[in-house]
Amino acid sequence: MRAFLVALLLLVLAAGGAAAQSGERVLAATLENGLRVLLQEDHRSPIVSFQMWYRVGSRNEARGATGIAHFLEHMMFKGTPTHGQGQFARLVEQNGGQDNAFTSQDVTSYYVNIAADRIDLVIDLESDRMHNLKLDAKDIASEREVVIEERRTRTEDDPGGFLGEEVSSIAFKSHPYGAPIIGFMEDIKRITPEEIRAFYKTYYMPNNAILVAVGDFKAPEVLAKIRAKFGKIPKGPAPPPVLAVEPPQNGERRVVVGKQAQLPIVYLGYHVPNQKSADAFPLEMLSTILSEGRASRLYKRLVYERQLALEAGGDYNYFSQDPNLFWFWGTPMPGQTPEAMEKALLAEMETLKKEPVTDEELQRAKNQVEATFVFQEDSVHRRASLLARFELIGGYAEKDRFLERLRAVTAGDVQRVARAYFPDDKKNVGVLLPRP
Amino acid sequence: MRLRRLSVGFVVLAVLLALPAGAAKPIAHREVLPNGIVLLVAERPAVPIIVVRTFAHAGAVLDPPDRAGLANLTGTLLTRGTAKHTGPELDSAIEFVGGSLSAGAGRDGLSASLAVLKKDLALGLDLLAEVLLTPTFPPDEVKRKVAQIQAAIKRSEEDPGTVGNRALARLVFPNHPYGRPVEGTIESVGKLTRDDVARFHGANVRPDTTIITVVGAITVDDARREVLARFGGWKPPAEPPASVPPAAAEGPPQSETIEKDLTQATILLGRQAIRQTDPDYFPLAVASYVLGGGSASRLYSRVREEGGLAYAVYAYVSPGKYGASFNVSAQTRTAEVPKVLDIVREELVRMTREPVTERELKLAKEYLIGSFPLRLDTSSKVADFVVAIEEQGLGLDYADRYKERVAKVTAADVQRVAAKFFAPDGFNRVVVGAPKP
Repeated sequence: MRAFLVALLLLVLAAGGAAAQSGERVLAATLENGLRVLLQEDHRSPIVSFQMWYRVGSRNEARGATGIAHFLEHMMFKGTPTHGQGQFARLVEQNGGQDNAFTSQDVTSYYVNIAADRIDLVIDLESDRMHNLKLDAKDIASEREVVIEERRTRTEDDPGGFLGEEVSSIAFKSHPYGAPIIGFMEDIKRITPEEIRAFYKTYYMPNNAILVAVGDFKAPEVLAKIRAKFGKIPKGPAPPPVLAVEPPQNGERRVVVGKQAQLPIVYLGYHVPNQKSADAFPLEMLSTILSEGRASRLYKRLVYERQLALEAGGDYNYFSQDPNLFWFWGTPMPGQTPEAMEKALLAEMETLKKEPVTDEELQRAKNQVEATFVFQEDSVHRRASLLARFELIGGYAEKDRFLERLRAVTAGDVQRVARAYFPDDKKNVGVLLPRP
Repeated sequence: MRLRRLSVGFVVLAVLLALPAGAAKPIAHREVLPNGIVLLVAERPAVPIIVVRTFAHAGAVLDPPDRAGLANLTGTLLTRGTAKHTGPELDSAIEFVGGSLSAGAGRDGLSASLAVLKKDLALGLDLLAEVLLTPTFPPDEVKRKVAQIQAAIKRSEEDPGTVGNRALARLVFPNHPYGRPVEGTIESVGKLTRDDVARFHGANVRPDTTIITVVGAITVDDARREVLARFGGWKPPAEPPASVPPAAAEGPPQSETIEKDLTQATILLGRQAIRQTDPDYFPLAVASYVLGGGSASRLYSRVREEGGLAYAVYAYVSPGKYGASFNVSAQTRTAEVPKVLDIVREELVRMTREPVTERELKLAKEYLIGSFPLRLDTSSKVADFVVAIEEQGLGLDYADRYKERVAKVTAADVQRVAAKFFAPDGFNRVVVGAPKP
């Protein structure tokens, strides 16, 4: 699968993973400086997943400075006056830990998975880099080259990533979701150290962050340690809100690109509401019915029965902070055309509008989501990520209501949202034509 | 689009291949069933899920030279129809309960994997037994799967890493099955028939070379009973299991450039190395980590942190049952290929000429030993690990031995092993994307 859609898919898998039974209860606190803390004890393995989630992503970027959130994510590993160049990674590895980070449209997230008795070290490092990042011009200059290489790998040289960027660009006229998370090459090359420093100061502050830890610790003790370290960081002014509201789409938009590739790709994107709408639940069910597993509709019909597609799917991002796109995609089999692929995807949509999904399909989708919730409980990393994702959209306790709301979805609801949100004259279409 | 470094999956895989350090008590219960199946059970009662992995010594190493891709095709066809159910019926049955059942082949073995809620174990095991014991390989499913595999191979030509690694495997393991792609080629897969598949399955998927690992909310007694009920009557064929020769020594190192219209070049270096049964494996694991294992490694520091030349640069040991390789990889903009190659060469040479610092040695050892619990924190990871140590014949105490062995590695050991494996002229080299550097 293409990197671009894999990333989207991961978000959805996480969506499916909201804890069915919360297990150990969550110790939630908001420090005086606004830092939100969620701690959950899990004593099965002597480890902890410690995660920092900043409420900043590409949606907070201005035109001309796309990619700055992701650029800053790279810089978060470059050092503070206390922990110099390379120290962060060295200390984590030396303590047997694994760390990484990602930037999405909505958030920037950092995690360290490590032996539970090393949690003090992580609290120390994360509190330090929340407030004291060096952001040296020389470090920025060398990291800029690394980000450029990353863009080459993920976008310039990847047909799926390349097409995804084009489709997003035509789908959004006003909202920053139209710009790539990694940023346009021109912006990555241009962004100045001053801008990165200002971005850091604006968004990296306790009142714009969520700290989640799940693992083998005593929550009250860890909370006290967090208070001692993070509590010293001053609260900042509230970051500026994202004002852009995407205007209604008037008419179909289409982009066709040529690229060295072996097979064509077709993407379709439709504007849909996010979790603030009650329609989010039928949309989530629809996504599962279309794409989850080999019995799912698009796989069964387009890949298996008609042998038209090498792969095909649909994807909805329940957690999106602002209304976003419902994606469909397909890669035609050799000998099949992108026109046939597009037509087949559209025909599936028409079927969804005309006929209710079967009871079996709906029940299977519900069972799949419920089981995914239980499977996710097996990993402290995933448990922590889910708490954060629900906290970002209104409160971690939302996850307990999520399943309940999904269970209530009817075939009529699914048909209604298919009719409401997939009008043929408001689609965004991207086609990649392979060049030898 | 977002990850700062390598994808997490890759890290986990690379580290898992290195089979890191140990736990105090045996990681799993082991017994051999009367028909030769090795049953391994790890109890993890907290979450009501069960993961089952089966592994048969029926990997691509058993593909006849003119039938590359046969094990892979056989593996993917197991779930496409049995004596009792069609492929779509199997899909619906397992997915209706939110479970998953898949099968496929790798270099060394053919695996099937089941994940279900505890309450659905009986259904899941019934289906798993069906796909292993009574697959029917319906002709239209064979045809369909052949076309899909061919299309996937064609599409994978877009990915410079896949293209490069295929070429590199051919250079590192000439005249050995490890040198051929597991999925075969478009041509070789096109020649495979249903008879080939049925024969391969009949001869090679057999109880006396099969491992069944059960991990999750189940006791050893229950697991044994459930497995025996479904696999106890499975009889091995009369012919002895096929054997595979270890990889022969590689020839003189070679270079290959595969030109593609890309903005970046993928650089891959590789040579044969040693597996976990060789005492030098442990110093090699440490040496590899110091050179290019993590974000504090020499290559990461010089190529990425200081030079800004690459997003990804790694060194790693890749052990298989019949041979091992040591690899270095990097992706850089086309113009910088010579510079990155120079840095890699310098750092390889430095590993052979001078001992690593105490600080580097300590870091590598502490990471390799200390990160162990993270490798075993989910049922799937435990199942993968247990299967790996069993099939590679490393013993259930391998984790503990690994820890001890790594702890004993000295800077002199690292230099000695580096001298053996890191001489830059001993590497095969593949560059994808760049015009000849």
